Amino acid sequence: MMFWLIADIIKIVIVFAGLLGAAAYLTLLERKIAARIQNRMGPMEAGFHGLLQPIADGIKLFFKEDIIPEGANKFLFLLAPVIVVIPALTTFAVIPFGAPVKIMGHIVPLQVADVNIGILFILALTSLGVYGVVLGGWASNSKYSLLGGIRTAAQMISYEVALVLSIVGIIMIAGDLSLAKIVSEQSHMWFIVYQPIGFIIYLIASTAEMNRVPFDLGEAEGEIVAGFHTEYSSMEFAFYFIGEYAQMVVNSAIIVTLFLGGWQGPFLPSVLWFLIKVFFVILIYLWLRWTYPRLRYDELMDLGWKFLLPLALANIIVTGFIMILLNR
Amino acid sequence: MEALFYVFSFIAIFSALMVVTMRNPLTSALYLVLCFFALAGFYVILDMQFLAAMQILVYAGAIMVLVVLVIMLLNISRIKNIRSDLHQKIIGGLISLILFAEIVLYVINGAQKKPTGIFTHTLIKKIGNTQIVGEFLFTEYMLPFEIASILLFVAIIGAYLFAKKKY
Repeated sequence: MMFWLIADIIKIVIVFAGLLGAAAYLTLLERKIAARIQNRMGPMEAGFHGLLQPIADGIKLFFKEDIIPEGANKFLFLLAPVIVVIPALTTFAVIPFGAPVKIMGHIVPLQVADVNIGILFILALTSLGVYGVVLGGWASNSKYSLLGGIRTAAQMISYEVALVLSIVGIIMIAGDLSLAKIVSEQSHMWFIVYQPIGFIIYLIASTAEMNRVPFDLGEAEGEIVAGFHTEYSSMEFAFYFIGEYAQMVVNSAIIVTLFLGGWQGPFLPSVLWFLIKVFFVILIYLWLRWTYPRLRYDELMDLGWKFLLPLALANIIVTGFIMILLNR
Repeated sequence: MEALFYVFSFIAIFSALMVVTMRNPLTSALYLVLCFFALAGFYVILDMQFLAAMQILVYAGAIMVLVVLVIMLLNISRIKNIRSDLHQKIIGGLISLILFAEIVLYVINGAQKKPTGIFTHTLIKKIGNTQIVGEFLFTEYMLPFEIASILLFVAIIGAYLFAKKKY
């Protein structure tokens, strides 16, 4: 009993610290990649090749003045950034990040909680992130924030449908909702081979869920200043940033778990395989951001409802037919 | 488990009260979200993680987002002059009387009972509660399930017609 309690606490601390550290250093990675794509150097001053830049940014944001605009709903204004961060950090609890290890005669699964509805848990929590954006936009008492909040809410509701439906094919093949089971089902073949369309739909829809370019209508700086976080400063602003980057890590981890075989791989230790795969999916997200221009609003809605949604439904039907034909 | 039940009950009743007493509709909507979370907690205690996830995914994650969005779009952050007439009071009083009578009846007749079905805690753990719900939906409760899906289909067509209508 004592052993499991300590093991769980250690796992939670590792996941928590790892996620926050990864979120901080992703800002540096993003700036470096952006610089490389645009033929620049990126941050170079703080530390070796800018390695201390995230810490410098953190200190700067921490000491900035905390401004709450006049007429803002103070409680909701402060609550909104927290709502963005918490689902992003909690989602990682059900993702297995390594093969079970043997410690002191006990077999410890490298996963904070093996819930038997793992995928649904993730979907339920990611669907809550929209509240932070919407409330932040409303509570700021500014028209730009409100416009950004409304745009983001409409966008996130639209793309959530395609996001959920793109996973159904995986659930059908694996026959289970538990993420540990889904990973072990992929020991022979990664699910991306059976579900290439599901993978692409999930990649696009999750980019839209995170409000990243080309789907960052909610914070389109050319039109509505900075969208829903226009009025935010200091640590509340930093929370929006941490939330966004933690979401990116979590979404990459979900893609790795569902489509790319999770922690499985030859020769190297399983945790290392997991980290390598997550890193490459994050690179895809960064690459997308600095390559594509922003969509127009009607194009965004058309892509979500008229293209991704029917494609996801067709994917489910075709998967079902093939499974019956192959008698699985 | 029992302590958790009381915690969730307190949250559920408190947030439900706040929903009807708050002056700001947006705050009311957010308390309703909190109430749904407490309900999801009850489902987890009852070994129905599937229902708990669905409760949060559908109600808190989708329906309440739409409600919040509509409140924001109409910009009714504060109801200024509430008009209440006699009809409202009579109907409201009647409904609350009936509900109170129901609660009293439940409390009087609700002696403690042991669960009677074959699905015990260990059996649910073994099969998985999603699988149990799925099996029942597609065998025993096939007809209500299909009727519900037809109802939703009709609602979709209705919504489409309203959106298409040119005034």
